[in-house]
Amino acid sequence: MMDLFSELFDMFDSMDMFNTQNNLRSDNNKCPVCGHTWGDFNRTGKFGCGECYKTFAGGAEGVLRQVHSSSQHVGKIPSKSGAEIKAKRRLEELKRELKDAVNKEEYEKAAKLHAQIKSMEGGASK
Amino acid sequence: MIWYNDLNDGIVISTRVRLARNLDKTPFPAALNDSKKAEVTKKLNASVFESNSTLAKDFESINLDKLNRTEKISLLEEHLISPQMVDGSGHSVLVNKNKTMSIMFMEEDHIRLQVIMGGYCVDEAYDLADKVDDVLEESLTYAFDERYGYLTACPTNAGTGLRASVMMHLPGLVMTGNIARVLQSVSGVGIAVRGLYGEGTNAEGCLYQISNQVTMGLTEKEIIDKLKAVVNKIADMEKQARDILEKNHKPELEDKLFRSYGVLKYARSISSAEAKTMLSDVMLGQNMGIIKCDGKLTPIELMVKTAPSVIMAGKELTPAERDRQRAELIRNNI
Repeated sequence: MMDLFSELFDMFDSMDMFNTQNNLRSDNNKCPVCGHTWGDFNRTGKFGCGECYKTFAGGAEGVLRQVHSSSQHVGKIPSKSGAEIKAKRRLEELKRELKDAVNKEEYEKAAKLHAQIKSMEGGASK
Repeated sequence: MIWYNDLNDGIVISTRVRLARNLDKTPFPAALNDSKKAEVTKKLNASVFESNSTLAKDFESINLDKLNRTEKISLLEEHLISPQMVDGSGHSVLVNKNKTMSIMFMEEDHIRLQVIMGGYCVDEAYDLADKVDDVLEESLTYAFDERYGYLTACPTNAGTGLRASVMMHLPGLVMTGNIARVLQSVSGVGIAVRGLYGEGTNAEGCLYQISNQVTMGLTEKEIIDKLKAVVNKIADMEKQARDILEKNHKPELEDKLFRSYGVLKYARSISSAEAKTMLSDVMLGQNMGIIKCDGKLTPIELMVKTAPSVIMAGKELTPAERDRQRAELIRNNI
């Protein structure tokens, strides 16, 4: 029976379902939270805990891009733990709006946005 | 209202929205032993039952370790738990009174929050899931990363953790031989089409599940809008196929649908597969105004209630006994 499993695992490895062989070679460390290795991921296609995404950042990045054609979350942010991230996103949004206003020569709007950005950046650095 | 009691035009049967969530700094369920799973589950239960929300009174907790296999499969066939939760240990689920919501614990992720409703209502289902998610988060800290979003065991769910799916009844496309073309046309846009019972073009009961594959790089709204665009397109094609059947093949169609109705009304023994196929015909007949059923249950309701494990209701029955019981239930209620 074990032979059958190890054969199956070998088969998954050789199929390289997430095309991660190159990342695997460079990354032999263990996740500090769950103890999983990149080899575990490559064998099962699953991470052991949230921390694995950081521990194996290089590999995770490639896998996510391959699966979703993107590795950047743009959706919901948890309200409790995400206040800082929300503020950061809002700042980026304002900066984009500012650039846009300048390009369109809407200087009054740009001045307002600039003031808003300044006050937010001041708040963030305190 | 439980999803199969609340149907509208008959092409879109039900809507399901699922959010995958995990706790911060806690190994995912596959890396936990049973006692650790119980510890985490206690915390998750508290997030609902000790919240100030009205949710606390609406949910019942079911420990799957205390159910036998048939009882678990019955929950599966009502779509309240996932196939992975039938085997293994340490799973539990919270189900609300009208069975529109289930919160699965210790599946592949710590939390799988699901809303399932009859008809076509992806926005409403997502809004509800989103609100319940906020309640849970009040007392839990989720595994969330600024760049990668909600972190999940399988990277195919990471980001929003959102899987939105719509169950469609597509007999017109099956009968006119167009289903393969339709399935092919939507693949490649990040949308998956699967048979509800059986894969690909041979789905029993002509029931198909349309769902998003991509969960990262798009907002929840964008994911839902994309899914809805595909569902609307498929629904239009199904309507066209039904028009063609009505216009060019009405006598053959009527004969086929009434034959199925006749078998369901009088058969003394019927297999699950045959029942699904014929109930699908009757459902089409009803929606096209060809057959008028005055029974107590709708065809889709009968499909759910005559699935093997639901028929057994926890008892051990032989396949022959099941087939007889199924025929009787359909005969008395169609």
